[in-house]
Amino acid sequence: MGIDGLILLDNTGRSIIQSGFRSTSPAYPLLHIEAVNNAVAKATQPGDVDPVVYVSAYSIGDTPSACCHVQCTDVRILCPISGNVDPLFGFAFLQTFIEILREYFGPLSAATLKDNFDVVYQLLEETLDSGGHPLTTSPNALRDIVLPPSLFNKLLSVAGANINATINSGSGLGSGPFSSPIPWRKAGLKYTSNEVYFDMVEELKAIVNRNGVPLSSSVLGKIEANSRLSGTPDCLLSFTNSSVLVDCAFHPCVRLSRWARGKTFSFVPPDGKFILAEYRYSPTGSSSGSANASPLKDNIPIPFVIKSNVELLDHGGSFDITFTSRLNGRSLENIIVEFNLGSGASGIKCIAARGTGGLGRGGVSSMNAGLGGNSGASWAFDSRRRVLKWEINNAPPSSSWNLQGSFSTPSIAPRPSHALQVQFDIQSYTFSSLKVEQLKITGETYKPYKGIRGRAIGNVEWRW
Amino acid sequence: MAGQQYLNSISENATRLGMRLQETLSEHTRDLAIGRGSGAGYLETGALGDEKTPAMIRKQLDSSSDREKLDAMKRLVALISKGRNASEYFAQVVKNVAAPNLEIRKLVYIYLLRYAEHEPDLALLSINTFQKDLADANPLIRAMALRVLSGIKVPMIGSIVVLAIRKCAADPSPYVRKAAALAVPKCFELDAAHLPTLIQIISTILLRDRSPLSLGSVAVAFQAICPTRLDLIHPHYRRLCRILVDLDEWGQVELMELLLRYARTMLVRPQTNLSERGGEEKHGDEEEIEKDLKLLLDSVEPVFQSRNPAVVLAATKVFFYGAPPSYWPKFVGPVMRLNTNSKEVERVVLVDLLIITRDAPHLFAPHYTRFLVRSDDLTVVKKTKIQLLLRLLTVDNWSAILREFIEYADDMDDTVVSEAIHALGTCSAHVPEAIPSCLTALITMIKSRYDTVVSSAVMVLKYLVQTQLSMGSAFAGTLAQSPLSIIAHLARRIDDIRHAQARACVLWLVGQYAGSEEKASTSGPEGIADWAPDVLRKLAQSFGSEDYLVKLQTITLAAKLFVLSPTDRTINLLCQYIFSLARYDKNYDVRDRGRMLSSLLVGVGLQISGPSAEERGGVVLRKEQVKLVLFEGKSGTIVEKDSFLDDGKLQLGSLGRVTGRPMVMNDALPDWLEKGVESSLRDSEDDARVNAPPVPTAISSAGTTHSQKGIATPPIVLTPGVSTPSSIAAKGQWTDLESFYAEEEKEEAEDDDGDEDEDEDESEEEESSAAESAEETESGSEEGQAESDVIHVH
Repeated sequence: MGIDGLILLDNTGRSIIQSGFRSTSPAYPLLHIEAVNNAVAKATQPGDVDPVVYVSAYSIGDTPSACCHVQCTDVRILCPISGNVDPLFGFAFLQTFIEILREYFGPLSAATLKDNFDVVYQLLEETLDSGGHPLTTSPNALRDIVLPPSLFNKLLSVAGANINATINSGSGLGSGPFSSPIPWRKAGLKYTSNEVYFDMVEELKAIVNRNGVPLSSSVLGKIEANSRLSGTPDCLLSFTNSSVLVDCAFHPCVRLSRWARGKTFSFVPPDGKFILAEYRYSPTGSSSGSANASPLKDNIPIPFVIKSNVELLDHGGSFDITFTSRLNGRSLENIIVEFNLGSGASGIKCIAARGTGGLGRGGVSSMNAGLGGNSGASWAFDSRRRVLKWEINNAPPSSSWNLQGSFSTPSIAPRPSHALQVQFDIQSYTFSSLKVEQLKITGETYKPYKGIRGRAIGNVEWRW
Repeated sequence: MAGQQYLNSISENATRLGMRLQETLSEHTRDLAIGRGSGAGYLETGALGDEKTPAMIRKQLDSSSDREKLDAMKRLVALISKGRNASEYFAQVVKNVAAPNLEIRKLVYIYLLRYAEHEPDLALLSINTFQKDLADANPLIRAMALRVLSGIKVPMIGSIVVLAIRKCAADPSPYVRKAAALAVPKCFELDAAHLPTLIQIISTILLRDRSPLSLGSVAVAFQAICPTRLDLIHPHYRRLCRILVDLDEWGQVELMELLLRYARTMLVRPQTNLSERGGEEKHGDEEEIEKDLKLLLDSVEPVFQSRNPAVVLAATKVFFYGAPPSYWPKFVGPVMRLNTNSKEVERVVLVDLLIITRDAPHLFAPHYTRFLVRSDDLTVVKKTKIQLLLRLLTVDNWSAILREFIEYADDMDDTVVSEAIHALGTCSAHVPEAIPSCLTALITMIKSRYDTVVSSAVMVLKYLVQTQLSMGSAFAGTLAQSPLSIIAHLARRIDDIRHAQARACVLWLVGQYAGSEEKASTSGPEGIADWAPDVLRKLAQSFGSEDYLVKLQTITLAAKLFVLSPTDRTINLLCQYIFSLARYDKNYDVRDRGRMLSSLLVGVGLQISGPSAEERGGVVLRKEQVKLVLFEGKSGTIVEKDSFLDDGKLQLGSLGRVTGRPMVMNDALPDWLEKGVESSLRDSEDDARVNAPPVPTAISSAGTTHSQKGIATPPIVLTPGVSTPSSIAAKGQWTDLESFYAEEEKEEAEDDDGDEDEDEDESEEEESSAAESAEETESGSEEGQAESDVIHVH
């Protein structure tokens, strides 16, 4: 099972960087670029493209192939596959590669990739064998082989010092590449201050019907870690209520048997940022594999209510949406309500206002421009995606917010989406109220600083 | 005074120093600025206009300064990146292959791999350097040298590559051994004549490898060059199973693929229990599983907890194709977790779920809420989810799923809308209780303002009404509306139904069932339902502006009504009018249909203007015969959407399942052996070692050097630290499951039905062929005629 290569495109669909292709026909990568660009151009809704594009054979005797592609900010990464390779393999590699790029260059953009194209080429070479098989994908091991572009390196190279010489001669020191006995951890790390941080990020995904009844809801959690620990620490992380974590997935460093036995995380962490584990929160603790699992019992209450009244008329429509926070003691932040008004929608007129309830004073924002006044709510219309975006920065407990407006369409029957997409954040909060019992570090003598915090985000579809 | 002077000189010196510093700094920062913007500069030289001439680049490559060389190499790689041909510099680049600077060297390698094919003679110049590098002290250099050496597509060096592979396969560093394994398929591609030597290297050196780092690549090599020589795996099988969990994620995928194929080729088919297939899963049901298959399943189980979607799917594949159905619940949770991974992964995994649910819908039916369509899903995902929900229909959840389908009919995408409405039809075919609510929903949809909704709803209504009528009145009692009243309803709303195909459909329904009203109507012409003639009148009026599909059906409707009521004067006149319009229509299909039907009706007494009526010879049919021709053999047939996915040959994890088209090389998994190969073949000295208490093999991470790590020494320990012995014992925990299950097995009574699996397959095949033939007969119906007419047009 191997992929054919990778192609990085900028947002105009032109290739920035390509890995070498072993295919006999030089047209092969071009065919794939063309096929994907066509598919993207044909999409009725921007972004709504089949992630696997079928590419017909170039000439008789060739086999048809397919192209997996992922959009990541303004870069699109293509992964052509042929033969009987699972597209999932392609996507898995794409995900890994994007993570590596982020690790190296921070937020991904075509400009940074162009700036560092030589490093990207080296990364491609080290992560992907020319036969299409992934080689070294652990960021810790990679950092030894391909030096991240840092100001320090540039300074050194400007100063004429040859940093690479150390790689060449470093084999005897036990700190060169491939010298660590743990594939995911760099050997011989030293920090003056040892720290380790864990972020528990939980996402609520739910669909609510027009009567406000949740049809499906699930909370998916992720434990993101950032470790800056010297030597080879052996960590043991345990939770007070770990039985609510089901359907877990782990970083390779986690000892699976320890989890199976005592529901504790026992691991030697990689250096730097990594995702320790992913889980689903189930209040009843029943994993989906078990026979008596009932998804309805696992429903998590939605922290807000939406009352909407949408009226569709000839050549347009009007709407009146009220958002009320149902959370006690905490406020919902960065609320974004998205309403797709359908093709051709224009002439949007809205009033975003703060309703009654909660603390603070009400206010009215914007007649036409959509800029929020002092009310903390604003709206904007994305004419490319035909999406009306209503943003509320901070909704205190049980406060209520309102958006009224109208739109018009050229066709007689307007066809907006029948659902509102709501996103929100809740700071220092987890749906599962997962509590860390202890974090014990053995194998090293120092006392590290340990930080743990939670964050909840929501992604709810509210039908009307 | 002196002090003053002293101070002055200090300050003077200081300013001078400051200026010096500033000078050097600015010099350096200028360099720095160039360095920072360099990448973009290289890639967009054309725009900036500072493109260097080929001669300058050559000069740079030949210079002694590393910086110049690096600059030139970056320029070349940028040229490659822009799709230009940079092969003219090959000679100069090859000289730098031994550059001490690793960065230059890596760029040289990238260049070499792309152009070596075009300049084989010059490429040979570099071979010597690579051979020297193979003996370098640094494993990174050794691995890189082998990778480039095997990647150069020059057939001449085949035997050198084989030698290099053999050398590296026994390298102390697992990374180099990994590179050796990956070089094997490339060497084979280069020259197939090396196959026997390569197989020998695999079987005698590579497969014996004990490092989890390199074994994944060994599986790659094996699959690539000798996938059928599974007999070579025998002595390693058990060790490979045990080590699976320690492999890196990509290696796990490859190894599971290999082990599954081994199991299907060499092991006995697991015995399954008939009672299990249909109903609820019972854990620990009596099954006979070979010890070695059990070992595989137990080793794969922990792998489900990987974060890599490809690994989870590969593990699912092992369970789905390698384990009896009682094991299947184990992959339910992990596979559903993949669904939340990313929208790309979701799109692929949903297709796998479709394949799994064909055999085991009960596994996922309780979790149907996790497959509800969100309005921000991709269009493909929405459609797949609808298909999947159809598969998961049960007596408990049909009403909820039905409500969902009705909801999806409001989607913004037309294809999703029609898919959802068709799903309503399929839903009521599977669950007869759903028919009343389906009908109510469809009738509301007909009033919709959207063309797609109306046309799809009419199509599904037609299908529903037909099946209802062909089933007789078995369900008539349960319905709020009788099928005929639905047709009547449709007929009255013909003006609102604007979509051509839907309109044609309604016309056909009206014609077909106009005569089947139980009691003859009082107001209208005798023998015809009272709503039918008015439809004909409206269509006669608008005939000229109708789509040709509608015209064809209008003619048919006219003929049918005439046969039903030949004595009615109004109908007679309407018919004559329509037939004469059809006679002069622009579309030849319409003219043909008109001509055929009018001559059919001669025996019934249709008067057709024009002289041809008398002159026409041939057989004249009586009214009863015409009626038979026009009305019979049109009973409703189930039009199951026959997608590529339904043929049952698609495998989990294949490319074809996602593209929906047959892809070449869809190699099927081999079927089980009825009698497996001798299990003692798999015995090896390892087994004895595993049974013995684990030897502490920890290497403390700090003080090890490479020279100590020969292949003979135990694998690199992935769980280092002080607690290593205990953690190895902990990994052994997984094998303990074996005894756990063994105990359960004993408790249950034996009851097996070995041929059940096969029987099921056969019956499935029969069903599908029956469905196909049913479709063929269906083409005789009116709809089919309309479709075949389209073909004539082209």
